[in-house]
Amino acid sequence: MLLKSPLNNIHKEFGAKFKEFAGFEMPIQFSSIKDEHLTVRKTVGLFDVSHMSNVWITGKDAEKLLTLTTLEDASKIKDGMSQYTAILREDGTIIDDVIFMHLGEKYMIIPNAGMSDEVTEWLNKKSDEHNICATAENVSRDYVILAIQGPNSRDTLQKLIDVDLKKVGFFACRFINISDVECIISHTGYTGELGFELQINNLEKAKKLFYKILEAGREFDIKPIGLGARDTLRIEKCFLLAGNEFEGGRTPLEAIMSWVIDWNHDFIGKDSLLIQKEMGDYYRLTCLECIDKGIPRHGCEVQNEGKKIGIVSSGTLSPCLNKGLAMAYVHPEFREKDRILDVIIRGKQVKAKVVKPPFVKKDWYKQN
Amino acid sequence: MTKEIRNDLKYTDAHEWLKIKDNTAIIGITDYAQSELTDIVFAELPEVGKELIKGDELCVVESVKSVSEIYAPISGKVVRINEKLEDTPEMINESPYDDGWLVELEIKNKRELEDLLDAGSYKKRI
Repeated sequence: MLLKSPLNNIHKEFGAKFKEFAGFEMPIQFSSIKDEHLTVRKTVGLFDVSHMSNVWITGKDAEKLLTLTTLEDASKIKDGMSQYTAILREDGTIIDDVIFMHLGEKYMIIPNAGMSDEVTEWLNKKSDEHNICATAENVSRDYVILAIQGPNSRDTLQKLIDVDLKKVGFFACRFINISDVECIISHTGYTGELGFELQINNLEKAKKLFYKILEAGREFDIKPIGLGARDTLRIEKCFLLAGNEFEGGRTPLEAIMSWVIDWNHDFIGKDSLLIQKEMGDYYRLTCLECIDKGIPRHGCEVQNEGKKIGIVSSGTLSPCLNKGLAMAYVHPEFREKDRILDVIIRGKQVKAKVVKPPFVKKDWYKQN
Repeated sequence: MTKEIRNDLKYTDAHEWLKIKDNTAIIGITDYAQSELTDIVFAELPEVGKELIKGDELCVVESVKSVSEIYAPISGKVVRINEKLEDTPEMINESPYDDGWLVELEIKNKRELEDLLDAGSYKKRI
């Protein structure tokens, strides 16, 4: 049985085409993926991402639990700030990548769609095992999650909020009232553009807010955006998608997440990561931009002179660059910048160049 | 939105259309098919000269999110491909029966034409 977003009927009203994603029926596109994608890069788009998960961590040791189970030392994340991190198994492989938000005495974490039960169970299990006084509570069903993303996102939302949004800095989070709707707002997103995400636990008010945001954004030509464009937007910035980039068991070293690893604390999986770091010969996530025509897809082989040296985890056609893009796990000897490799697409060798992420640079719209 | 069907063409259950000439058939996908596929961003066409048996893979069209194989509705040799699709694959969406044609085949076995659907029968399918 497919779950639906609480905004499902609104999406139907806007002419969405639907597809199944992580057990949810979600809108893939409204107008076209390319049009929605460029709308976010150039002005502003509104996403319903209610299929994502919401978990409260409460208790006097909430901070300790996050410090133990994630790559982050949670004592460094002050009240009103959020952090991108990952939860690992003992063997160092990633269970899920999440954002957690420090909101007063408690934390809200946002696991990926379909992961709420697994993450909640894992956190509670570790809490028990380590005698930590903290509880994880899965409240995903209670929340609508909206994302407003694009250069005009702040100006759009500002019309509905009294608080000066310029004071909500990058990765800041707080409770806020938007047009008489209580929300949690965070200056976060999955598109690489200026943007905010809203967690709303009043379903009826959330529906009204969806319309209000579209109305507020009308002068900026705001559009509702589907998951198709969400995927092309994040690939252009080399952001990870759990189902693709962690498939088969990947570590944060392989997924090039070392920048979020705080080695100065003990965490589950640390010992395994240290061993892997020492050995150094692991495949690493690499950005490949196609030179020949073709669209890389998940599972395509990457070759160097006829020999397999990697595999594509995410691939698409970039609406901004009009080129095929791939994120691929590649053997460490073959991933220096500008190296030309072959992506094998339906038996054909498609030349691609190793590039430094992101594929599409910051503020692309200013030059386009 | 009603999908266009042209009366002078033949069709298949797999939503291909054929314009039968004397010895050749021009092949494309129907308006219904292009709307199901959404925006086509890439079309991989066969080499001219390639020999195909009915049911062989004829070409591949891709949207951002999906890859769709299109199979040869009849046997034949590829005599012409729509090269404009390399730069403007979206023509398949915009003009599926005219500028968005895919491949022209030299008909190998005229009896295979009898298995094709006429416009009325195809309309019932969708």
